[in-house]
Amino acid sequence: MLGNVTEISIDTIINQVHQKKDEGYRFVSMTTIENPDLTIDLYYHFDREYQMENLKLTVDKALELPSISKIFLAAVFVENEIQELFGVNFDGKVINYGGHFILSDADLENPMCRKQIVIEQMEDN
Amino acid sequence: MGKTIIPFGPQHPVLPEPLQLKLVMRDEKVLEAIPSIGYVHRGLEKLAEQKDFMKNIYLVERVCGICSNMHALSYCMAIEEIMQIEIPDRARFLRVIWAELHRIHSHLLWLGLLADSFGFESLFMQVWKSREKIMDILEKTAGHRIFISTNTVGGTHKDLTKEQQKDVLATVASVWDDMKAVEKVFLNDYTVQHRLKGVGVLPKEIAYELGTVGPMARASGIVFDHRTRGYAAYGDLEFEPVVETDGDSWARTKVRLFEVYQSVRLIREAIGKLPDGEIFTPFKGFPDGEAVVRLEQPRGEVMYYVRANGTKMLDRLRIRTPTFANLPSLLHMLPGSSLADVPVLILTIDPCISCTER
Repeated sequence: MLGNVTEISIDTIINQVHQKKDEGYRFVSMTTIENPDLTIDLYYHFDREYQMENLKLTVDKALELPSISKIFLAAVFVENEIQELFGVNFDGKVINYGGHFILSDADLENPMCRKQIVIEQMEDN
Repeated sequence: MGKTIIPFGPQHPVLPEPLQLKLVMRDEKVLEAIPSIGYVHRGLEKLAEQKDFMKNIYLVERVCGICSNMHALSYCMAIEEIMQIEIPDRARFLRVIWAELHRIHSHLLWLGLLADSFGFESLFMQVWKSREKIMDILEKTAGHRIFISTNTVGGTHKDLTKEQQKDVLATVASVWDDMKAVEKVFLNDYTVQHRLKGVGVLPKEIAYELGTVGPMARASGIVFDHRTRGYAAYGDLEFEPVVETDGDSWARTKVRLFEVYQSVRLIREAIGKLPDGEIFTPFKGFPDGEAVVRLEQPRGEVMYYVRANGTKMLDRLRIRTPTFANLPSLLHMLPGSSLADVPVLILTIDPCISCTER
């Protein structure tokens, strides 16, 4: 089971990540999971001496999140990837591919997102 | 002289897979390099949400041909952790044997490609000739050269008979001898040293800062190898991570070269200690919960995150591959290098774009 999880909020992301860096952690990756209620769970994974620490953020998917790439440059590619595949925006990325890190103009918009399908019921005349 | 932007790739003689770099150049010097991917993205993580969790074993093998066995191993370990399945001892050792055979063929593939990248064709052919022996033994023991599908949730699908164990030992002994012969070239030849020594230096602190993993990190002096945590049967085997301190392309070559010998030793020891018994623990039900598993692929740390909901379908499968973690190192190594060194520098991260664009 997933251990060492600390719940964080959007206001504390930068401070928490700074703290991880100050404590000597290495950035491993970020994981996005879409929840059925239009929120996302975003994990920030860090490692020190093989011990993994996870910061967990649960937020509305439409919110813009601060980029951590100025603290950990290694995060820049995964932030671009999440932005393109899941439509989660990160503000202040060190390199902003403008939606073309993985996708091209012809690609579907945010192809990893769960699509909201509205089924219209036919009214009986 | 003004700046010129050169698109390097996605089709380039030295790149086995499509990666593009936008190189900002002044004369022959690289000022800036921006990597770009997306040519072979398959959305396998999304596909995994739509398949039975047991069928995903075969799906994740197809993330990458070179580390296919270890992708399946990572996934199986994540599901076993969620379902709290303890696998039999024999299966733990079998997993190590096939994983290390895969590490050897991955490193030999890379050593050959490196030789090819600076035009040393005979060295390339010698190394790949030796690699064929590993591919043959994989086929002989598992029925397939690449997607050997030996791992399953609860243990392994396949076993090694006494005869097959002897064949594996004979094969790795032969590969050991082959590598001893070409080792002299890799370590002493003027051309190899000229193209690799002092090229693309990645200091230890920067390697750590950029989250570098695997032979890349170990060549920069970082002692980081997940096998030392003892997953599968590694905890029962004697070995030390191969570490170099120069941080240049030559150090990365030496780490991979010496890891071939290390893998041979691990296979010998694992076969010597292979216990009798079952290879599979039966289980019932579906996974429910989340887990992160990390292990050491040939290119470095791979991370599997699984969230399961108690049905046969997963909520989420996330794969962070070692090449993805090593891409940022290019941002440091390429600026300041000459255009002629760019192919070699890209190769020294052992890029697997198929993994990166799973």
